[in-house]
Amino acid sequence: MKLLEITGLVARYGAGDVLKGLDLTVDEGEIVALLGSNGAGKSTTLRAISGLVANLSGGIVFAGRSIVGLKPEAIVRLGISHVPEGRRVFPGLTVRENIALGASNRRGVSRRQLAGEVEEMLGFFADLRRLEHALGWTLSGGQQQMVAVARGLMAKPRLLLLDEPSLGLAPLIVQQVFRIIADIRARGTTVLLVEQNAHMALGVADRGYVLETGRLLVSGRPDELWSNPQVRAAYLGGAAVAG
Amino acid sequence: MQLLFTGFGIGAIYALVALGFVLLIRAAAVVNFGQGEFAMLGAYLMVIGFNVLALPYWLSIILSVLLMAAFGVVFAATTYWPLRHRGGLPVIISTIGASIFLENLVLVLYGPEAAQIDGLFDAPGIQVGPVFMDSQYLSIIVVAALLVALQYAVFEKTLLGKKLQATSQDKEMASLLGIPVATMILITFAYSSALGGIAGILVAPILFVSTGMAGLIALKAFAANIIGGYGSIPGAILGGLSLGIVETLGAAYISVPYKDAFAFLMLLIFLLVRPQGLFGERIAEKA
Amino acid sequence: MAARYRWRGVPAALVAALLAVGLAMLVPAQGYILNIAMQAATYAIAVVGLVVVLGYCGQISIAQAAFFGLGAYGVALGTVDYGLNFFTALAIAVAIAGVLGLILGLGSLRLGGHYLAMVTISFQQILTVVLTNWIGFTHGPDGVRGIPRPTLFGLSFEGGHAYLALCLVAMVAATLGVWRLKSSRLGRAMQAVRDNELAAGTSGIDVFATKVGSFGLSAVFGSLGGGLFSGGFHYISPDQFSFAESIVMLTMALLGGVQNPFGALIGTGLLVILPEWLRFLRQVYLAVYGAAVILIMVFLPDGLWGFVAERLRRRVRAPAQDVAPLPLLAQRGEPGADAVLQVQGLAKHFGGLKALDGVDLAVRRGTVHALIGPNGSGKSTFINVITGLYRPTAGRIGFAGRDITALPPHRRNRAGLARTYQNIRIFRGMSVLENVMVGAERAGNDVANDPAAAVERALAALDFVGLGDEAARLVGTLSYGHQRYVEIARALAGSPEMLLLDEPAAGLNMTEKQELGGLLRRLKGHGLTILIIDHDMALVEQVADHITVLNFGRRIADGAPQVVLQHPDVIAAYLGEPQRHEAA
Repeated sequence: MKLLEITGLVARYGAGDVLKGLDLTVDEGEIVALLGSNGAGKSTTLRAISGLVANLSGGIVFAGRSIVGLKPEAIVRLGISHVPEGRRVFPGLTVRENIALGASNRRGVSRRQLAGEVEEMLGFFADLRRLEHALGWTLSGGQQQMVAVARGLMAKPRLLLLDEPSLGLAPLIVQQVFRIIADIRARGTTVLLVEQNAHMALGVADRGYVLETGRLLVSGRPDELWSNPQVRAAYLGGAAVAG
Repeated sequence: MQLLFTGFGIGAIYALVALGFVLLIRAAAVVNFGQGEFAMLGAYLMVIGFNVLALPYWLSIILSVLLMAAFGVVFAATTYWPLRHRGGLPVIISTIGASIFLENLVLVLYGPEAAQIDGLFDAPGIQVGPVFMDSQYLSIIVVAALLVALQYAVFEKTLLGKKLQATSQDKEMASLLGIPVATMILITFAYSSALGGIAGILVAPILFVSTGMAGLIALKAFAANIIGGYGSIPGAILGGLSLGIVETLGAAYISVPYKDAFAFLMLLIFLLVRPQGLFGERIAEKA
Repeated sequence: MAARYRWRGVPAALVAALLAVGLAMLVPAQGYILNIAMQAATYAIAVVGLVVVLGYCGQISIAQAAFFGLGAYGVALGTVDYGLNFFTALAIAVAIAGVLGLILGLGSLRLGGHYLAMVTISFQQILTVVLTNWIGFTHGPDGVRGIPRPTLFGLSFEGGHAYLALCLVAMVAATLGVWRLKSSRLGRAMQAVRDNELAAGTSGIDVFATKVGSFGLSAVFGSLGGGLFSGGFHYISPDQFSFAESIVMLTMALLGGVQNPFGALIGTGLLVILPEWLRFLRQVYLAVYGAAVILIMVFLPDGLWGFVAERLRRRVRAPAQDVAPLPLLAQRGEPGADAVLQVQGLAKHFGGLKALDGVDLAVRRGTVHALIGPNGSGKSTFINVITGLYRPTAGRIGFAGRDITALPPHRRNRAGLARTYQNIRIFRGMSVLENVMVGAERAGNDVANDPAAAVERALAALDFVGLGDEAARLVGTLSYGHQRYVEIARALAGSPEMLLLDEPAAGLNMTEKQELGGLLRRLKGHGLTILIIDHDMALVEQVADHITVLNFGRRIADGAPQVVLQHPDVIAAYLGEPQRHEAA
């Protein structure tokens, strides 16, 4: 079943078009990876879905309903949670407070229930436990990434948008993050993932899209992308994939 | 002792106005130079309600405060909202423009003559030991204490407070989490404006009501906010009180004409010796 | 080349001055229009000063009317009460104001942003109180009357035309000076401080001195304008130099466009005339003025000049010249012979958190040394302590044979220590070339005092990283990967002894990472000493001669790459299970 369907999406920033007619679908229960070089329009795609791009044309349909023109607050209430580039942890709030605010899109969550869910997240991301009262700005990059993902999950989304979750993380943590992404899907959440780390992303994804300057270059299953020489040369580190 | 009480009372005024500053800083990251004009407008509404329209005293207070809250929304929509993505300085200048506008608008509409309104209580005050406690100062202190407690509780203990803070720290991220950013900001401005109005109504019986009544108070309240620690609620209180006391003692023992200089001198000394204020700012820059 | 730099703008200014004098002759010699013209000219000088402190250096000053007042009172009291010559009094007033400006700037040592704004407001208020109340010296609220106009070399400026011409010439000179400042070494330093203080410091700029200097300069212009104002109107009083007037000047600067002195002229002219135009509104005019300020902020974000400049923007061509290759990579000493960086027992505690807990590390000359470890293990803290952004709790840092433990960041950079940042820190308001010139102009570099040579060096550094053709672009318009290269070029242009790279590969895609690997290998080939932090093990393996691993602020492994990367503790704490694709 199609959960998200994007057709002919055009996004403008300043003078030029960042997206020039993009088509993309995500089925319920999938992990879809969005790959491409810097400036290809990957993050813009996520921002457009979340309602952060003002100058937009084309269709975005989520769970059978058009969400073009809705405000970000309204879109997240429909069940799309976006963990943006750069983590964006609130610097003056504690880890616990940051995570709790992730549930802001849901109405009627009692204090007790909220506290319980935050506990659950702190159990899931065990490294955050000892930091629960630390302020956001004191955290290292990896810790912030975990807070950002935990906060995104608190929305209990049907679709989770993850923008470069592995950026700046140690190899061990990157592996952990991707295990978490697989876990998230196992719990029934659909994931649309933007990544520079194509190897890791295609390791967990069911399908991938490769973007080039605002257009779709190619899409398909990971093995199809791996065997496409054009994609390999341009985006997957060329033929010289080090062992 | 008598001087200490007076200083305390004046300090409570600064603290009350500083509270409005702190609110906007904490919840909208706005430094509002129109905060003093909020107080001025509140006082004028009171004059119109009680003196001109002859409404009952408490009804005029309630109406004035409600109207001020509504005015806060208008203020936000015109002065802040169009500039919200442009950082601190343009908003500061815009609030300065608004304060010039308001002051002169009232001047045009009401005229330059000062008005006076009654205090909350008919009794002039009570004698406690050697100190005569003026009833108006006493009410200012009590109201300030109540509002402080309320504001502290909202910011530190409630989810709404956390949402307000999140909005000030990163509006876009807040909206991605489903926090209604525009509503948060309007709430903040409405409350801040109402707070300013309350301060104006309380101060009016002491100072007379004039268009220029609040300019200097607002600047000193801002100084109090920095002495206490930028954006800190307990800091604003302590900063305001110490400023009021220093100023009163300075005027009594050193020089009356230079009274207004003491506050700023104290601020300069504080900034050089302990720039983070009595209660340090919560966020620092990380390299 | 050098002559072109020296005389830039001067002919145009001479023409402008002549035109101004000519125009001054057309103004009626007395009355209303003359007064407005005189007010505009003297205010403009003060507002041009605001461009320096606010537009270039990014420091909020709400005390320009106080400096204006200092100049005015200096001239008034000097001539009227002490019988001094006009220009002597003016010189003394400007000197006093300049010194007070420097002192005010000292406040910026520990304060930024809104704090500093409040310091300037306090200064403004205190001055107003003093001017009003120190009646014995300042004449108090009555003000000073009968201020004379000067005579110079037998030329009398008593007449309205002559005096207005004098003011206009001063205005043209001030505008020219500030315009040229923008593209000078000091001006670039100011803009670098405005755009990114941390990066300015680690690029060799004395951030504090630059800010203090900008306050001093701004005060000089403010008081110069005030001194001329005083002579122009023969009478001054304290209320002309109040907080409200400082706000008016600030608004003038913002209205015109604070990045450029021409904007200041436009803004001043308009706001001097606007109230006159609005006079028919009688009492309402101040209210309209307040509303106009809001509208200006909303609809003209970059000021009038910004609005005009945006429409006139010409495509700036990169200076097309052949440049000599980058000389930085002249070998110094045998590779591997001695330690360039020697760190002993380095500790940094944040409250109870031990971010660094006694780390020893030595980087040998001509080697690439990698520092790896989990997130939060103290790597970034290490670089921040080494480059002077944090003070260590304990330990000693030796660099190129000196103890640099106590030096501020800019002194460390001048000793040859250059760095890049994990989250790119470039000077966003400046062009690619200007960004890199800041690096080339670090004190102690061989080209620091020669603008033409600094341009050439910067272009050479850009060529080295492959961005030679992008030199004229605004740096913010480059792609993320290229912005990283600008940061590296800025570091290289300063001929560093050693380069610290903090996660240079973060955010780059596979192809860009391979390019970066190539660049690092070239630098290594030239014998540059490098300390690199990165999580990309493929990159680290490609370039590193030596690896140190941190965990919880302590060193858990140190040695040759093949040994360290097999170390069981390193695998457990950092690398995790070996992965097929992970290396890419």
